[in-house]
Amino acid sequence: MALDAVFRDQWGRVLAILAGLLGDIELAEDAAAEAFAIAAERWPRDGEPANPAGWLITTARNRAIDQLRRQQVLAAKTQLLARDIEAAPRAPEGHMDDAATIPDERLELIFACCHPALALEAQVALTLRTLGGLSTDEIALAFLVPFETMSKRLTRAKHKIRDAGIPLAVPPEHQLPDRLAGVLTVVYLIFNQGWGGGRVDLAAQAIHLGRALAGLMPDEPEVLALLALMLLHDARKAARLRDGQVVRLDDQDRDLWDTQLIDEGRALLQRAIGRKRTGPYLVQAAIADLHLYQPRDWRQIAALYEALARQTGSPVVEMNRAIAVAEIDGPDAGLAILERLDLDHYRYFHSTRADLLRRAGRPSEAYDAYRRALDLAQTEPEQRFLQDRLAETLNSRLAGGC
Amino acid sequence: MQYALLAYAPVEDTDRAARPVPGTLATVLAQPNVTGWARLHADESATTLRNDDGRMLLTDGPFIDSKEYLAGLILIEAGNLDGALAIAGELLLETRPGTAIEVRPILDGRFRGA
Repeated sequence: MALDAVFRDQWGRVLAILAGLLGDIELAEDAAAEAFAIAAERWPRDGEPANPAGWLITTARNRAIDQLRRQQVLAAKTQLLARDIEAAPRAPEGHMDDAATIPDERLELIFACCHPALALEAQVALTLRTLGGLSTDEIALAFLVPFETMSKRLTRAKHKIRDAGIPLAVPPEHQLPDRLAGVLTVVYLIFNQGWGGGRVDLAAQAIHLGRALAGLMPDEPEVLALLALMLLHDARKAARLRDGQVVRLDDQDRDLWDTQLIDEGRALLQRAIGRKRTGPYLVQAAIADLHLYQPRDWRQIAALYEALARQTGSPVVEMNRAIAVAEIDGPDAGLAILERLDLDHYRYFHSTRADLLRRAGRPSEAYDAYRRALDLAQTEPEQRFLQDRLAETLNSRLAGGC
Repeated sequence: MQYALLAYAPVEDTDRAARPVPGTLATVLAQPNVTGWARLHADESATTLRNDDGRMLLTDGPFIDSKEYLAGLILIEAGNLDGALAIAGELLLETRPGTAIEVRPILDGRFRGA
């Protein structure tokens, strides 16, 4: 395996173990970074160790002790750590080869990073840094904020975890549903940020996190459903853009869809359904699946959006229901639902409304709605798509003489 | 870990000093993980002291000017933030509607029983 791939694969696991051991994410991060740097220098020369994770953890742990010893102020902590190491079987660098003995503590870490006592934007950034292994630079770039801002945000979050005593632990049973929902929100937010962008592959990061979660919590239907949802969306990635322009689902080249990802997504969805407990990600994954069939079963899609709207109370879900209703009962029925929604700030609301107005034979209003959508569009492929729609609407308006 | 819970309460019409601590609240305050607490007189009783280039400036009233006022300070012992939030949540249920509790980890200190 290429060194980069090993690093990406191991960073979260190594950091999680160290954070648990040191009780401090910042210390753990410094030590892990040092160990990875040493590995980058030695492995190409001496060959990759039999157990890369074990090697990295042992090395990082030794570095952390060195650093703590240098900082005399932390004498008490050093003793604790040294004891811990003496109690553990001696494992000199390069001689750990039983991967099964290394526990996976990434769940503990992700629940700390997504603790509701941290601001949501800090949760997202910290999760990408600690579990995803993205650099501060990359995270700053992905969220279009200056490096300094992102660096401060990450440092502040790490300090709050340490100083306020946010536990590096999986929450107890009675808190788990709420806290898990918070973790899934962060992962899905990362995925959606990556969907339109393409600056840093955040969608791949989110899927990577989703896979890790599904491996660690194989019995949680919402965890499986979120991964299914992301895979079913991601499977269409190659078909979603053509000549730098967004392509509507019905116009997409199905040969470009990744059937392997679709199969994996569907299998996960079936496993989630088998758990007999529903939740918002399960419904969304089921909808994403229905959208892949031709012709689409709009009645079932509308019914699922209705269920989802009841669960979440989200106007965006209502908007999507309006699209399905328009397919069943005509554009006016869809428009009637849209009129009740307060989504003026949302770019897809205006493009959706424009499309229904166009189909309802109201090109003037459609033109205005496309204009508004274009004003709010955030990426170039979306802008190009909307410019084309705008030109079409203008033509039909001229042809219609209104 | 030790935490300080700062309880901010909305203003009230009745005289706070004349009212005893409600029984249900007293029960929570009597728990062993509550290491100390102080119920504060209302805002009007506050005096704020500032150092203006060596000159002590006094102002009548609290430092923070807000709709709510600092009504109480509760010191607790908890294993971690989740434990502290659980105790704060219990207390919040026994306070008047509109009350907010700020949870702050304690760096160090000395507390004597009142």
